[in-house]
Amino acid sequence: MPIEDLRQLLAEQSLTFLAGIPYVYHCHHYNLFHDQTIDDALGEVDGARVRTTAAHNAFRELLGAVFAAAGATTPAERISLATEVFAWMGQGRLSLDVSGAGGRARSGSLHYGFAWREKYGARVKRDEPTDAVAAGFAAATSELAFDLAADAITATEHRCLATRDPECEFTLTAGKGHLSRPPVDEATVRRYVAPAIRGLDEDRVAAIASGLLEFMRAVHGDERGLVAAFNVFVTAHLPGYYNETVYEAVHHIERTAPAGVAAVEALVREAGQVCVFNTFGNVLLSPEWEGMVGPLSGIPTDMMAFCTAIARGLGFGHWLIHEYEPRKRLVIQATSNYEAPFYRTRYGIAKKPRSYFVQGATLAMMLLCETVRWTERPQLTNAYYIDLFRGKPRYRVEQTRCATRGDALSEYVVDAL
Amino acid sequence: MDRYIEQAVAEIPQLIGIFVTAMPDSLLFSSWVRDGTSWSPEDVAAYFGDLVRANREGLKALGAWSSEMQVTIESAESLVVLRELSSDFVAGCVFERSAPLGMVRLHLKRLLERIAHVLPEVQAEDRPRGLRIMEFLDRYAPDPHAVALRVSLRAGISLDDLKMPGALTPDQVRRLEETACKILGVKQLGL
Repeated sequence: MPIEDLRQLLAEQSLTFLAGIPYVYHCHHYNLFHDQTIDDALGEVDGARVRTTAAHNAFRELLGAVFAAAGATTPAERISLATEVFAWMGQGRLSLDVSGAGGRARSGSLHYGFAWREKYGARVKRDEPTDAVAAGFAAATSELAFDLAADAITATEHRCLATRDPECEFTLTAGKGHLSRPPVDEATVRRYVAPAIRGLDEDRVAAIASGLLEFMRAVHGDERGLVAAFNVFVTAHLPGYYNETVYEAVHHIERTAPAGVAAVEALVREAGQVCVFNTFGNVLLSPEWEGMVGPLSGIPTDMMAFCTAIARGLGFGHWLIHEYEPRKRLVIQATSNYEAPFYRTRYGIAKKPRSYFVQGATLAMMLLCETVRWTERPQLTNAYYIDLFRGKPRYRVEQTRCATRGDALSEYVVDAL
Repeated sequence: MDRYIEQAVAEIPQLIGIFVTAMPDSLLFSSWVRDGTSWSPEDVAAYFGDLVRANREGLKALGAWSSEMQVTIESAESLVVLRELSSDFVAGCVFERSAPLGMVRLHLKRLLERIAHVLPEVQAEDRPRGLRIMEFLDRYAPDPHAVALRVSLRAGISLDDLKMPGALTPDQVRRLEETACKILGVKQLGL
């Protein structure tokens, strides 16, 4: 069965699923910043452990569903299908040499290691491998291939492109076993979405989002298992990974170092800014966008509609513009997002708004729509990011309603300072 | 000083920019750049200062250092010459790539002599190490926009305290330095 045929779309909520498991698109700038934040919060050792465990859990959910949907029953069939899915997602091409007792895996092109070296390699020396996602994937694949229990296998990366090795290498050994978590699948997600409502400029936003979702259907990994598109490396990724890592890190800081909560929350919000600047921005400046929507006008109301459509097109949920007064106020609502179903399933009702990613993303949308001279087609460099986001803040964001807190929908208010 | 440099460079048509860096903190002391150039003199001066420091340490490790040393960089676009003017100042001159090396040497000798002549005698100020570490991170950390947040989280130093890095306690400075090394992937900071 072609992998493309395993995709489903909950169209009215702009949520995408692979074999019934949610997936979204994020670029390497976001992915690297996200992982860096997890390590900042937990340290390298615990950070890698939490990231690997989250990937392990997320890929067990996905691959279990994929194997069932595709009728893959033998170890060879499952390993082959799993590595194809991984490459299709833009996560890289991984060779597995495993049995029920463990084994080895290696790759010359994994998304994280490859992208880290591309982005930071000339600037910083790194000692720790980057590919916790591939490690978790390798462990989950090996377990499911041989019908083993969750965490029967543990994978550790000991060579990595990011640490200047010629390729990434993993060792898979017997794990200790742990309790499996309740899955966050399509049925679960549906419990935590509100009926879709219309926002400002809805017809245009919906039409563009629909076109972008269709465009993304054709996006898949190249021979390296990487997706180079929109001037970034793109991945189809599992919200389970992002959510487990972020919330475990934030909760850890809340428990052990409450004085650091402001910093960790600011960093996970900043990851949302990084995403909007790099992914949304490069999508807007791409020839594909011009072919689909036309040249950019640079008018803030146009740009806001475009950004909202991109969020939907990447599978982030049904975001809508509730209120927008350029240079003064933006209110974005979301009847669905990829953070709430996970939080509610894993942790229950939150005591405060927890939709950090969208908080940062909406703040960045305001700034990008107001400040960037789109008609001049600027290069979205790191220096430009610093120019935009550093210095005296021009806007602040407050999440006034949050599905993780039990509100019917989520609402993000950005006000000029 | 800036006005003096302007006068000194007037007769060197192939010079694109000159940066005088105060050491040991690699801070811009004075500069001139040709009209239409969009460089950040503070950044360029800081990188040039650090480059000369690294070169000095490298040569010392080889037992080959002398105060007369000069760094020449030939890039596709330009010819860069870095030279120590004194123990307190470094000059970096950027010429057009097409400038003949002989002419560059000739101009450079005259130019740097004139500049060195008017440089002040300085008493190096012992600036707080916390401040210097944060400045170093600003220059070299990946994602410098997030570096204060990252340091705060990793080192357990509040964001308010990091706003005044010169007033950090010795223990905070130690943790800051460990964190900076970790973020930059180095064993020690070249301060």
